[in-house]
Amino acid sequence: MPRKIDALPKQPDLDASLRLYIYRFFIEHQRAPSVAAMAEGMSHPLRSVRAALERLSQTHAFVLQENGELWRAAPFSAVPTAFPVKIGRRSYYGNCIWDALGIPVMLKQDARVEASCGCCNFAMPLGVKDGQLLPHEGLGHFAVPASQWYQDIVFT
Amino acid sequence: MLLFRSEQHVDRWCRQWNRPRGGILSLDQVWSLATEWYGDRLNPAWSPKTAAEAQSAFAGIGLVADFWKLSP
Repeated sequence: MPRKIDALPKQPDLDASLRLYIYRFFIEHQRAPSVAAMAEGMSHPLRSVRAALERLSQTHAFVLQENGELWRAAPFSAVPTAFPVKIGRRSYYGNCIWDALGIPVMLKQDARVEASCGCCNFAMPLGVKDGQLLPHEGLGHFAVPASQWYQDIVFT
Repeated sequence: MLLFRSEQHVDRWCRQWNRPRGGILSLDQVWSLATEWYGDRLNPAWSPKTAAEAQSAFAGIGLVADFWKLSP
């Protein structure tokens, strides 16, 4: 019987290194690393990397797909979303409008978020320059109460 | 969290999905959340906010209604 993740030895150094490895990979390659690439890039056994990913996913900042590959490393999405973010010549996807604005915050870069209205797809591009959100229209809407965010992550 | 043109568009979306209206924020509040949550994410010593820290961050930008309570 496989051991539960909580029963695995904690490896805070590995977890912290993997977290930064994933973010740096996203920033440089504009996509998520595969789990195999993480293991190879960090020179750690695949099993150790999978266990570290499971621990990181307990923070909710990281979410895995059913096949064990990354789905989200907030604010980045590993799959295309309705929240593309352009920073210079690079493009990323945020998980939601909060995360899309979080990408230029995290990278401390100017950006253009190619967002649109969730109701009618009306284009609502947002700009970030010199650490400020440029003048804008619109509002954000959370469909799910905060206490239930991680029970229904898609609608959240 | 989705972006909308107006509260009318939020209500139309809610009707389409047969869901009650949730919590609405100004984009300045969304920006504040983004800066609060992601400003230090590349810090090697980063750790996730505790529930109390997150709740305090919500309160700091005026999100104090029951909808924003992290504990039921």
